[in-house]
Amino acid sequence: MTQDLYDVAIIGCGPAGLQAAIHAASKKAKVIVFGKPTKSSLYKAHIANFCCYEKPISGKDILEAGRKQAESFDAVFLEEDIVKTKKENNLFSLVTESGETFTSRSLLLCMGIARKKLRVKGEKKFEGRGVSYCVDCDANFYKGLDVAVVGNESAAATGALTLLLYAKTVYLICRKLMISDMLYEELKNSQVKIIQDTWVKEIFGTNEVEGILLKNDNTLKVNGIFVELGAKGAMELAANLGVAFDPETFSHVETNRKQETNIPGLYAAGDITGQPWQIAKAVGEGCIAGIEAAEYAKKLANR
Amino acid sequence: MTQGVLDVDDTNFESQILKADKPALVDFWAPWCGPCKAIAPVITELEKAYGDRIIFARCNVDTSPNTPTQYSIRAIPTLILFQNGKVVDQIVGAVPKSHLEEAVKKIL
Ligand SMILES: Cc1cc2nc3c(=O)[nH]c(=O)nc-3n(C[C@H](O)[C@H](O)[C@H](O)COP(=O)(O)OP(=O)(O)OC[C@H]3O[C@@H](n4cnc5c(N)ncnc54)[C@H](O)[C@@H]3O)c2cc1C
Repeated sequence: MTQDLYDVAIIGCGPAGLQAAIHAASKKAKVIVFGKPTKSSLYKAHIANFCCYEKPISGKDILEAGRKQAESFDAVFLEEDIVKTKKENNLFSLVTESGETFTSRSLLLCMGIARKKLRVKGEKKFEGRGVSYCVDCDANFYKGLDVAVVGNESAAATGALTLLLYAKTVYLICRKLMISDMLYEELKNSQVKIIQDTWVKEIFGTNEVEGILLKNDNTLKVNGIFVELGAKGAMELAANLGVAFDPETFSHVETNRKQETNIPGLYAAGDITGQPWQIAKAVGEGCIAGIEAAEYAKKLANR
Repeated sequence: MTQGVLDVDDTNFESQILKADKPALVDFWAPWCGPCKAIAPVITELEKAYGDRIIFARCNVDTSPNTPTQYSIRAIPTLILFQNGKVVDQIVGAVPKSHLEEAVKKIL
């Protein structure tokens, strides 16, 4: 199903995304914000160094207030992860974990920073020899083989479904799935073998991965393990749009003072653009990105 | 001026890389791979700096499946450095430019 055209789409509802939504929507742009507040770095934090709040404030409270404020300017929120982005004829299209497509004139990356490594024995040793961090890149190398995907969220669930097209057996190892109902239905009705309430303890093999040991002490014989923690990050979602990363660490998206990336209409703000990882920086950049994106969308609409 | 990053495939890998008179760095990539796109500018930059002494090449694993199989490649991007037809280093993933440059300097 394809929805209306938005002026500004924002991936991420942490402080950067919220402030961007407030500024873009107050300029009368049609704004949609994707993401789950519980997954913001701020959600469990207590903040004592954010200007004008003398007493420590809870991150959860800030996130709730920010959302209400953005909604009062008519920004729309959808608590889903984005699993795919594309740019075609000057428009961005975004696919949610439930499979819905949204289109926008400009796009803001406010996804924060994500932890991508499992940090278990064997992970580093077998990187590139059975341990992979990118289903879209590497699924093709596992034709007819047995693989496991580890993760609780949309990246792992959609990754497991993608791997079904290549691998013989696909296991999904998770503590507890945190995905949309629609995605859960799709997964449940698929051939993916879901192993819940456990986690990976160790990855073993000689030259290549031969299997994994689980926390519940079961072992699984697999040729590969895909580590897909959290939601897809910038590398998985935006690198295919051609966005430039810092060449030293590839961990953050490069922007100029207008929060523009190298791709017209694509902006980034918050932790995703690099340190310091602080709310004050996230809202400052979000403000600029929101204003710039709204103006860009207006110009594009009037062309 | 250097010659730019060379495209190699299953048919000419031996003649262009293994039997080359210079050491070579081969970037195994595919069009659908985000991290491959992210590191491509770094390879181009390194080629400009060292391309007179080292061959910089890229091999599309989608259209040339045999070469990656031969080197047991299971993840992309993978960069392999060759000297006299032998693998001297193999680097997986989007690693920092400084790390790549160090590896390149070792085969100069
Ligand atoms: C324990 C802790 C304490 C902290 N203390 C402080 C402090 O005292 N002072 C301070 O200034 N900062 C503090 N920080 C840092 C601060 O929380 C971050 O700098 C800030 O939250 C960054 O905002 P952001 O909007 O860039 O990213 P985040 O707040 O992390 O938000 C990212 C958002 O993107 C969403 N997202 C990610 N991927 C996708 C996807 N594929 N699709 C849809 N949505 C997606 C997530 O659901 C989330 O909503 C602390 C952080 C932690 C973890």
